[in-house]
Amino acid sequence: MAFNYDSYLRLEKMPTLWCWGCGDGVILKAFIRAVDKLGIKKDDMCVVSGIGCSGRFSSYVDFNTVHTTHGRTVAYATGIKLANPDKHVVCVAGDGDALAIGGNHTIHGCRRNIDITMIVINNFIYGLTNSQTSPTTPQGMWTVTQKAGNIDPTFDACKLAIASGASFVGRETVNAPRKMEKLIIQAIEHKGFSFVEINSNCHINLGRKNKMVSAMENLDWIDSITVSKKKYDTLSEEEQVNLLPLGILKQDTVVREYCDMYQDIIDAHQGKRAKITQDDFTKKI
Amino acid sequence: MSKMVAPTNTSVWVDTQRCKACDICVDACPAGVLSMQQEATSTLGAMISVITPEACIGCNECELSCPDFAIFVADRKEFKFAKLTDESKARQEAIINNKFRLPTDYKGSN
Repeated sequence: MAFNYDSYLRLEKMPTLWCWGCGDGVILKAFIRAVDKLGIKKDDMCVVSGIGCSGRFSSYVDFNTVHTTHGRTVAYATGIKLANPDKHVVCVAGDGDALAIGGNHTIHGCRRNIDITMIVINNFIYGLTNSQTSPTTPQGMWTVTQKAGNIDPTFDACKLAIASGASFVGRETVNAPRKMEKLIIQAIEHKGFSFVEINSNCHINLGRKNKMVSAMENLDWIDSITVSKKKYDTLSEEEQVNLLPLGILKQDTVVREYCDMYQDIIDAHQGKRAKITQDDFTKKI
Repeated sequence: MSKMVAPTNTSVWVDTQRCKACDICVDACPAGVLSMQQEATSTLGAMISVITPEACIGCNECELSCPDFAIFVADRKEFKFAKLTDESKARQEAIINNKFRLPTDYKGSN
């Protein structure tokens, strides 16, 4: 016996269109195992993906899937979740999809704290369109649009999500598929906006010109820039600068979820309760 | 939990229709079970092969790190896996040092 991934895949689409060694496949497998462990029925899960290599994600899984416009995964997912509050909705977006063109939707999804799980596959480059600078491309790296070396400062997606109000924020890498699976399980179980950043490899478009030709070299580089949250907290500020913490970075179970709050509006219109006033909220501004 | 039926008495097996020869599983294996082999019809000129299935320790690392659903490891309850030996470790090192292919003249660690 072995785990049967095929029962969750659209076999007519196999093999995947991703390059050899692409981390997206590892994430897809971890996600399938997570869904299987949680025992979610295929009809109760909706996967929403945008444009980019990560956009292929929804094509391969045999759940309810929506392949949406560039960067608008959270916008579509919000609609799906509000119409079906009892179903699980998972957004899958790349770093360009979620943080550049879809940055606006991402932060407002976080702010509303709607019960969506957002998996951001961060491969530090625009992979599908061949090596343009993305918001997470490290400074000094070669890209097609910055041939003399990238000068654009990067930003930390997890810090953005924490600041925007997501109630669950975590980060993992494709080097640790078991930990990634565990984090995805916790993210799906969490009620509220769960933001999961997964650092992935793109040795084809990022590595080829940045001295990481093979998948393993790229994975080793990811390993060298990440450290567990526990160890990260013990480091001094100078040591933390070039490292990213892994694990659960924020988990807030007190803050109310958006679909629950929306039910109050429905109840108010149906006359089941009084209109919503400022007194209903502890945080008034 | 959905399971697939494993071939009888097999520790690890591969689907060569899906493998893209990315070398990740060979790198992940601690026991030198897997190696790349020359394959003219494959896109990258190589294909995964299970060279020493009897040395498999059942750690599942190859299956977990394969991006293409191409490699499977038997369940621990159904197959008795070997223990990690020095010979396995030496073979793994030889494979890694030889660009993920077992050296043709490799005769073991002794």
